[in-house]
Amino acid sequence: MRRAALLLAASLAAGAAIAQPIAFDAAERARILSHGPWPMAWSPDPSNRVSGRPAAVALGERLFFDTRLSGNGLVSCAGCHRPKQHWSDGHARAIGHAEADRNTPTIANLRHSRWFGWDGAADNLWAQSLRPLLDPREMSFSIAALARLVRSEPAFDCRYRAAFGRSVPADDEQVALDAAKALAAFQETIVTGRTSFDDFRDALARGDATAMARYPAAAQRGLKLFVGRAQCSVCHGGPLFTNGEFAEIGVGHFVRPGVVDPGRHDGIRKLKASPYNLLGRWNDDRSRGTATGTRHVAAEHRNFGEFKVPGLRNVAETAPYMHDGSVATLREAVRHYSELDPDRVHSDGGTLLKPLKLADAEIDDLVAFLRTLTEPPAPFARRELTEPRCD
Amino acid sequence: MRPVPAMLCAALVALAGTAHAACGDALGAGTLVAASPRFDVAFRPDPAPIAVSKHFALDVVVCAKSGAAATGLGVDAHMPAHRHGMNYRPSVAARGGDRYRVEGLLLHMPGAWEFRFDVRTAQGSERVSLGVEIP
Ligand code: HEC
Ligand code: HEC
Repeated sequence: MRRAALLLAASLAAGAAIAQPIAFDAAERARILSHGPWPMAWSPDPSNRVSGRPAAVALGERLFFDTRLSGNGLVSCAGCHRPKQHWSDGHARAIGHAEADRNTPTIANLRHSRWFGWDGAADNLWAQSLRPLLDPREMSFSIAALARLVRSEPAFDCRYRAAFGRSVPADDEQVALDAAKALAAFQETIVTGRTSFDDFRDALARGDATAMARYPAAAQRGLKLFVGRAQCSVCHGGPLFTNGEFAEIGVGHFVRPGVVDPGRHDGIRKLKASPYNLLGRWNDDRSRGTATGTRHVAAEHRNFGEFKVPGLRNVAETAPYMHDGSVATLREAVRHYSELDPDRVHSDGGTLLKPLKLADAEIDDLVAFLRTLTEPPAPFARRELTEPRCD
Repeated sequence: MRPVPAMLCAALVALAGTAHAACGDALGAGTLVAASPRFDVAFRPDPAPIAVSKHFALDVVVCAKSGAAATGLGVDAHMPAHRHGMNYRPSVAARGGDRYRVEGLLLHMPGAWEFRFDVRTAQGSERVSLGVEIP
């Protein structure tokens, strides 16, 4: 016993002696701390009256994995948002009934998002969940067909009653919106696990040098670049590694020759036109306190070609990257910032993005850091759906 | 360092006191004051302090130092170094007297921001600005 303790102390001392501590100045420290703590506190979504209710989560999970929610009976949400690929699909652009124009993003960690979709055309998770069902290239389903399915399938009907406290209503649109809210309730439960970065960040907060030394030196150097000279944190800020807003970083805008993806500019137009936005009657938050962003967001010319700043948790698992899937690897994504052509970044935010001209070793370090934002493999397992008892 | 005479100290405090008492005292702790030759604009974020990429509102008091009184107010915020503003257009509601409530602001990046208050008078509009650093 005593001997083991001595041995342990000796090996810890040796470990600490080997690792060269990287020095962080006060500004870098503050920035690193602002990327946590993780996980974030969870609270129900006021715009969704069944948010956090187990019966709604159970209904949403069943809907999410069911291919009957599509025109041809072959496409489910999980066909594109695959649990094994961290809820993305590995394709450059999503493929449902046909190829779509954009890359499939992960659906993890969305509870605290302000905007949904690469262009932020939705201001809430339930409206975002309805969109693919109705898109002819994705699931090509309809409000009427969704309502019919919820009514006719006992496993849905039973959980609907448990979640919403009433039988399935006659109004198709009401049923579809409720189903979307159940889908949202399920997706809100998907939160990525703690990572070695989180351990380092918490050790830094405590001033625990021994624990900090366990974080690889390359990742520490990459982190220093990320919060410092490379300014990645300015957009990829906070515990989610996104400020939740939009930017243009000089990825191409062409969907195909002659067709441009206007990104955020069109997203704002769609948002304002949607009957399902937070200013509309389907928002369960009577105070409309959730609708501040929607009420005040205003399109500007610079929004052309802007896309949502993606969060970077588990980013190593979601290649290919960017709104159009045009970047195959993390290394290539980092190199993009090293070599970007300032003339291609047309928006006035362009003064922030200058080619970083990183050395190869610095690119390696940034990639090493980004990899530490990925949780150790913990395969998603469908829960035992005992809640509520329906079968 | 020579000790500052107590009387001078008291005078300085009194001066600072009156300068602020003239504008925005009622807003309470955390109030900032932007100044131009003709106006002081006192404003208090709600919630305070401002957090990056989180919505906040401002309670504002506009104080005319001399001459024409304010007839209206426009509010915006910019990042001079990045040459861009906010992604949101705040709304300004007059609350009677010199008071205004501004809703819907959000500063989406850390760094140097500048609040710009355009105080409207019968003679035109005057820009009153203050820089703030968002951590
Ligand atoms: C054909 C593939 C496909 C299917 C099927 C699909 N999605 Fe998606 N999903 C995408 C793509 C592509 C985007 C990005 C859309 C955009 O930017 O306009 C996306 C975006 C999202 C987002 C926004 C994520 C974010 O970070 O903003 C959510 C939430 C989502 N999908 C949920 C669902 C749900 C729920 C279903 C089933 C009802 C579903 N998706 C079905 C491809 C798919
Ligand atoms: C001006 C804001 C901004 C800055 C600064 C910034 N990014 Fe990004 N980042 C974005 C946006 C916006 C996208 C998505 C662009 C698109 O799809 O067109 C993105 C995409 C990415 C992606 C792809 C993620 C995915 O899931 O597709 C990675 C990785 C990334 N950035 C890493 C970095 C690193 C590393 C830095 C610093 C060298 C950095 N970013 C600096 C805004 C920014």
